[in-house]
Amino acid sequence: MSIVDVVRTLPSNRMVFHVRRDMALVQRFRVDLEGLMTLYGLSEDEKIAFRAQDLRRLAELGVHPYFLTQITRLFHGSARNTQGSAAIQAYVKGLTGAAE
Amino acid sequence: MAKLVCTMAVAHAPGLTGWLEVATPQQQSNLKAGYAELGRLLRESRPDVVLGFSNDHLLNLPFDNTPDFCIGTAPEWHGPAPWFLDWLNIRPYRVAGNPQVARTLVRELDRRGVAFAFRDDLLFDDNFSVPLTTLTPDYDLPLVPVHMNCIVPPVPSAARCFEVGAKVAEVVRDVLPEHLRVAILATGGMSHDPGGLRYFEIDEAFDRWFLALLENGESERALVECSFERFLAAGDGGTAELLSWFIPWGAAKGHRARVVCYEPTVAMRCGMGGVVWDYGG
Repeated sequence: MSIVDVVRTLPSNRMVFHVRRDMALVQRFRVDLEGLMTLYGLSEDEKIAFRAQDLRRLAELGVHPYFLTQITRLFHGSARNTQGSAAIQAYVKGLTGAAE
Repeated sequence: MAKLVCTMAVAHAPGLTGWLEVATPQQQSNLKAGYAELGRLLRESRPDVVLGFSNDHLLNLPFDNTPDFCIGTAPEWHGPAPWFLDWLNIRPYRVAGNPQVARTLVRELDRRGVAFAFRDDLLFDDNFSVPLTTLTPDYDLPLVPVHMNCIVPPVPSAARCFEVGAKVAEVVRDVLPEHLRVAILATGGMSHDPGGLRYFEIDEAFDRWFLALLENGESERALVECSFERFLAAGDGGTAELLSWFIPWGAAKGHRARVVCYEPTVAMRCGMGGVVWDYGG
């Protein structure tokens, strides 16, 4: 898993790029992820990985690693993003399949 | 002939404003003192404009068209971008821009073989928000931001960034209006791996090696040894943000820098610190 393995054309990368720039899309990510994924043309493999918050799989598909922690923040919130936060714990779980 | 009054580089990790209280008391104390000193040095240089160079965190430079450098031409900037407010624990702020200086840099760098993209709608996350808040808490120094591609390969080399820094300084000296006081502030790094397998590690040995190169003025060695692969090895997802530090180093003609502070803050998932070049150009 490395930034050299990023697939720039992957729909997931375009979706997450746009979401973080627009609070209306952040809200839609939270309430209508399925619709958002369809809007951006994600493949079924990408959709399955997002639904499962399977970060390792997302990285394998070519999502930029920098986005992985941001995806967990979209799901679990950003405030006080310490090692014990829900977002960071979700990152650990999403990468390793087990809580830290 | 404008004057380069300050050249500086700092790390900008969000934990500095978002969750510093979970670092060790000694680290908190040292970083607070260090960034206060860096802010004092920047403000006391009385710049009319700060040329800020920072990596873009995939917030502005799109995947389908990723320039190496993109300069901001707006007369005013607002930050942080809304989604980053609670993460950074920074209240909304405004800081003046300087479209004339930005456009002059675009024109003059074109003539020197460096093509900056330009936009007036750049969003700021931690890249500029954390340094502005900690160094210039009144947001009273006009900023011309330059967003760099440091994390979507291929990225510019350290040598290219050093060369661009030298050319930026040349434009400052030879073209910008007489009596204009200019600071160059780089933000990014140090070792960290956001989203990677070493997310909870700091490569302290690398950070101290890199800082020693700066302290010794070993720019020629740094241009050879600070390869992209070396940055990746020290933290795949973020350490290459240190490419931004080669802008002020090039502007300062490879002179020695002075380390103001450094802390390998695991709690912030990033090596933190800053340097200043005691060189006025």
